[in-house]
Amino acid sequence: MIELKDITKVFNAGRLNEVVAVAGVSLSLEAGQVTVFKGPSGSGKTTLLGLIGCMARPTAGRIMLGDREITSLPERFLTAIRRQTFGFIFQQFNLLKGITVLENIMLPAYPTGESYAALKARAMELLELFNLENKAAAPVEWLSGGETQRVAIARALINQPAIIIADEPTAHLDTRLSREFMEIMRQFRAAGKTVFIASHDPIVYDSDAVNRVVDMRDGQVIVSRAA
Amino acid sequence: MFFKPDILALFVGALLVSSMLLYADYFGVKILRHWDIRSGSELQLALERKTYLITTLMAYAFAFQAASLFLFICTADHLHVFFTGAMCAAGSLNVNPWGYPAAVFKVVNFLLAGMWLTLNYADNQGYDYPLVRQKYLFLLAITPMILAEAAVQGAYFLDLKPEVITSCCGTLFTSVAAKGFFSELAILPPLPTQIACFAGLAATLITGIFFYRQSKGGYLFSSISLLTFIISWLALFSFICLYIYELPTHHCPFCILHPEYHYIGYLFYLLLLGGGLAGLGVGLLMPFRKTTSLEKNLPAFQKRLTLISLFSYVLFAALATYEIVFSNLTLK
Repeated sequence: MIELKDITKVFNAGRLNEVVAVAGVSLSLEAGQVTVFKGPSGSGKTTLLGLIGCMARPTAGRIMLGDREITSLPERFLTAIRRQTFGFIFQQFNLLKGITVLENIMLPAYPTGESYAALKARAMELLELFNLENKAAAPVEWLSGGETQRVAIARALINQPAIIIADEPTAHLDTRLSREFMEIMRQFRAAGKTVFIASHDPIVYDSDAVNRVVDMRDGQVIVSRAA
Repeated sequence: MFFKPDILALFVGALLVSSMLLYADYFGVKILRHWDIRSGSELQLALERKTYLITTLMAYAFAFQAASLFLFICTADHLHVFFTGAMCAAGSLNVNPWGYPAAVFKVVNFLLAGMWLTLNYADNQGYDYPLVRQKYLFLLAITPMILAEAAVQGAYFLDLKPEVITSCCGTLFTSVAAKGFFSELAILPPLPTQIACFAGLAATLITGIFFYRQSKGGYLFSSISLLTFIISWLALFSFICLYIYELPTHHCPFCILHPEYHYIGYLFYLLLLGGGLAGLGVGLLMPFRKTTSLEKNLPAFQKRLTLISLFSYVLFAALATYEIVFSNLTLK
């Protein structure tokens, strides 16, 4: 479903502080699977996820999403793809303080122009799925760690994306919550969604919810193996 | 040269547009030489990123270029108070040999800049930069015209001398006294021009509606629209002006910009330029209707252009008819 062809990403090109974050990565990533990008800090896994999720453009190389080449797309087309195809779960979860749980979940869907009532109904369904319906009106700063995590996941699902991208999602979670997170990923896989996770947490890459592990180091793929 | 804000704005604006255009041309040559959408090379990706930036900047530059036509006319009109003999822009433009050529360059470049903006807008509707080469080729082709305009306009402003005694519209655009190319164009015989103008407007309306409904005959509509643009422009000076001034011999294209005529000239010019440009745009885009990434959006864009063109011409015709019907002048 996603094919990376000789992807390179260089930051600060031509300057003294030039960094080659990803160097000539070629990969074919299957749809409907959970793939973990594993490696130490600075190995390029977050950058690679950003490139796959159209958050950044590569310096060289092409990425095919299905039969569509996405690296050459002008920004306004990328925005639509980002919104419709990908759901993002960030390391710090990045929920917006000062607004409610429900509003946080609905926020990524506002630019789609969908009716408020339909959005609210979908957001409430997601809250019920994660047993958070009684927190809908609560400000996000009142939530516990586990609740914050589940709200972030619900927000990633509001636009019904086919692909979920999670960057170090368990970095700030204890073992129980990390296992809970992987259980949710297993459910996503069962629902036919594609999941990409960047992590160096053994609970993540050793989980039996994972189909494939891609080992990275110094911006390159060392080995890509079935889990 | 007079140091007035509007002159400085036009002067500096022309320099900026010209420099940006030259840089865009330099980049355009790179695009024409190295563009390969199938390649994932570093150069290709850099070109893709940069073309987005450069065409966005050029779109603003050309929007200024188009708008500067009206600023130029307005400036020339305001300048008449500085020259003995001048009563409107006709006299101000006549104070040196550069005035009228600059005005003609402004009008032609309005259309060229507008055509490039149309092409750029159409290109932006496709996901794979479908018109990128055509866009830069067009840019290269119109560069001499834009640079020439900057030079001629610059020469006009630099060569403004307040001691010059000039002739104004009473001499330049009056039937009994007119001499010279522009003056003679302006005083074509009213009746045949009137028939040609309204026939052209009717033909544009018919072919435009046909194209809008059937999506056929785009080239025909575009050509007739261009012809109507030229005829209507001449008609404005030849007979419409006479009814506005209520003088059978006064054909000045600039007095209609004055407050005593409710600035009606600006509206006439805007409608004509809008109608002509939108009509030209339809023909310009015809060859690209079958391009894969454009075949969904381009016909709809052409229909919008057709509507703009028809709306402008119909309003022009309505306005001209109003002036003729309610004028105290009768041409018999």
